[in-house]
Amino acid sequence: MALIHVQVTYTMSTCGPPITDAGQTRWPPPFFSSEDAALLPGFPKQSFPPPKAILKTSSGSEREHFCCLTLLSLTCFAASLAMCFNVFTVNLTLTVCKHGFMFPLCLLVSSKVTTDHSVGGSYLGCEPMGLFWGLQPAPGEREGLRLRKKNVEAPYTVHISLLEGHVSPSEGQTTRLATVTTERWYMAPGVKRIEIRQDGVVGTLFLPPGPGPFPAILDLWGMGGGLVEYRSALFASRGYASLSLAYFGHKELPGPLNRINVGDSYFKSAFHLLQAHSQPSCLICINGPVGSTSKLSDPDGKTKQFKSEQTNWTFDDQGYVSFRKVSLPSNLFNGSLVKTENLTCPLMYIVGEDDQSASSKENADLIEETLRSVGKSHLFTRLSYPGAGHLIEPPYSPNSRASLWSVKPKKLVTLWGGHLAPHAAAQEDSWRKILEFLESNLRV
Amino acid sequence: MDRKQCCVKVSVQPSRGLVDEKFVVLVQNAFPGFQLTVHAHHQCEDGHGWEAFGHYTADATGTVNVSEDPSLGGTYSGAEPMGLLWSLRPVPGSKPGLRMRKKNVQTPMEITVSVYQGHQTEGFVDQVPLTGVVVERWYMAPGVQRIPITEDGLTATLFLPSGPGPFPGLLDLWGGGGQLVEYRAALLASHGIASLALDYLTPKITMETGKMVDNQYFETAYRVLQQHPKVLGSRIAMLGLCFGTSITLKMAVYSQVVKLRCVVCISGSHVQPVDGNLEQILSFFKKNADKSCFNEDNEVIWRDLLLPIPTDPSLKVDVGRLQCPLMLVVGEDDQNCPAYESAMDMKEMMERAGNSHLLTILSYPNAGHLIEPPHTPHARSSSLRTIGSRHMLMALWGGQTAEHSRAQEDSWKKMLAFLRENLYGGTDPGARLISHL
Repeated sequence: MALIHVQVTYTMSTCGPPITDAGQTRWPPPFFSSEDAALLPGFPKQSFPPPKAILKTSSGSEREHFCCLTLLSLTCFAASLAMCFNVFTVNLTLTVCKHGFMFPLCLLVSSKVTTDHSVGGSYLGCEPMGLFWGLQPAPGEREGLRLRKKNVEAPYTVHISLLEGHVSPSEGQTTRLATVTTERWYMAPGVKRIEIRQDGVVGTLFLPPGPGPFPAILDLWGMGGGLVEYRSALFASRGYASLSLAYFGHKELPGPLNRINVGDSYFKSAFHLLQAHSQPSCLICINGPVGSTSKLSDPDGKTKQFKSEQTNWTFDDQGYVSFRKVSLPSNLFNGSLVKTENLTCPLMYIVGEDDQSASSKENADLIEETLRSVGKSHLFTRLSYPGAGHLIEPPYSPNSRASLWSVKPKKLVTLWGGHLAPHAAAQEDSWRKILEFLESNLRV
Repeated sequence: MDRKQCCVKVSVQPSRGLVDEKFVVLVQNAFPGFQLTVHAHHQCEDGHGWEAFGHYTADATGTVNVSEDPSLGGTYSGAEPMGLLWSLRPVPGSKPGLRMRKKNVQTPMEITVSVYQGHQTEGFVDQVPLTGVVVERWYMAPGVQRIPITEDGLTATLFLPSGPGPFPGLLDLWGGGGQLVEYRAALLASHGIASLALDYLTPKITMETGKMVDNQYFETAYRVLQQHPKVLGSRIAMLGLCFGTSITLKMAVYSQVVKLRCVVCISGSHVQPVDGNLEQILSFFKKNADKSCFNEDNEVIWRDLLLPIPTDPSLKVDVGRLQCPLMLVVGEDDQNCPAYESAMDMKEMMERAGNSHLLTILSYPNAGHLIEPPHTPHARSSSLRTIGSRHMLMALWGGQTAEHSRAQEDSWKKMLAFLRENLYGGTDPGARLISHL
């Protein structure tokens, strides 16, 4: 009887790659035309390997079919998200090459070539990180789940197993031939997490290890509200001091939860805390409107209640709501448009072309046109990804095409958009470009 | 000029890894042609500081890649990807005779890798580096379970790989220093082998009764491993270093209970009274204690205790009777044990008996006695308290650091391939499997 051993290289890795090798196109042919490929130039060649998970099996025999199953068990202790022990799975099937022994299921971009393709399951083709970004809620889990790490001080534990034959999770239990456990961290060793409740500012600061000083980032999320830490933790792991700032929907902020109750002065205080200049050195915007989607209650930027204007909500045949039209430039509130013509620093705007939650493309067009009209096109960089949705996040986490938005007054699931594979590719590419952009604007 | 230098950054990939994994240290954004020192610092569990450093010159893009670029001096030289770890040495002012060994394998080794301006050789603690990162090195992979074993009078720890199992098993024996040393077994479990680290010189039962264990102790350990629900009883190996080799060879050849798929012996010898138990083997060594030498640094050399290799068959394990593959790992500069001479004698015995096809010898010039898992510092000598005495000695182990470290890396890779081939492979013992480590 041949025993199977599965190993993952980089058993404990930090999510997201550093700047890596160029040359290979990451976009599988069925999804992109040659026009789209032009949006993705190659990267500078570097000779060290990215921290991807490389899966190898030993002692497989010729022509055996294997199935690879990734299991992620989550425990969420936060009461605000009623999610505990959700199990996500992904399914990859492939065929052992004819030499019958060790071969990589996934590959290092910088080294050997492989012809191992997934022929079915959650993703197709040769996808080194597909086992991670292809994670989907396991059969039986409730609808509308979205995978987000709350406690960044502990890793995701991912179990990668080899199952016999080409199977689907819905087919029920099958024998696990071998399993390997891998950890995925948002915080590199030495990164410090510091809770900030100072000068009225509510946030969490992540500092890289080392003597400093460090370039700094103010990290803002969207209308989901709360305090989301994982992207800042990742920036700190890449050498930037990063402050995740709560500005909406957080119980430690003043005023009701369903409005923006803080204005310009709040963000300035946050900036001051980072001891940066009063003006940022560069801006990165992901899928957001250039003005307010809610009526402003004062010139400082505070808004009225978010949900009262539902005229521009649209619903699909499953009853899922799309907020896309709410942020069409023509629907944004008068007087709330940011005067982008006054921009003095580089701006990178990232568009998911399948964004169902915001009118990203139209807003990007507006900003681009505004800057062009005042001769500031050189400040503007646009990254546009076909097939990507609203939630363009750090790479290798799975996209949620839709997720639970609210439970009161009735259960509402909102559409984010994005198809699994192109969205994953967009996350990987945009993250690399974000890091390069930060590098060239903050360090040089 | 200063502003640019403050933008220097260093990264280590992976920032968390197993002790035997390689990493890549990359320095970027330095001035082209600038002189830099890449420095590693570690504080071990007993509080001692260790450091290593290499001198580099940034290339035209302001980059230093430690895996590819040569170190021009420091604690290592040349292109040495892992030099920052294997050349770690106690910081100036430390007491002599230190040896780095991890006791608690459930926490990682933390190493701070920093970059200093210029080619520095001392005074690192008084300077502020340009930049730094922290790296974690683990003996236990995620999912590996650590299980203390105290049944049947054993003092042992079992490490199980992650996954449903069942797994092949391995008995892991260290040498004359005693104690329960877990890190190698933890690492082997991280590679898919259920490994049992066994304390046989200072187990609880010996400490309480004053009596050394007998041969049955080892057979009990074997049985406990074999009968474990997650272990494949028919696929068990044994690994011994130094005195552990003596036990391993004895069990492999003479025990009616212990049936092994393969055996690995590091820095050991087959010379021992064949019918003796542990206590008798130890007194055999003690009888020859007058053959100990001391060098000019007052370090004791014990390699002559077993020389010359006897011709009397009752004083050597009859390896001609071995029925499973045997791998011998030998440091040719071993000052503690005549491993090379023993290996040559074993080879001759097996050739005469007709089972030498089972034998693999890995022999390393300028490697010493303590051939351990790679990327940890080499100790040419260290202080040792011999079993049963209150006396502290400085034992000379031997080995030249750079070559010893290369031997550790090479032998570990080959050992893992050998173990996988014999424990995971098909029934054909000669089956070849390519190692991808």
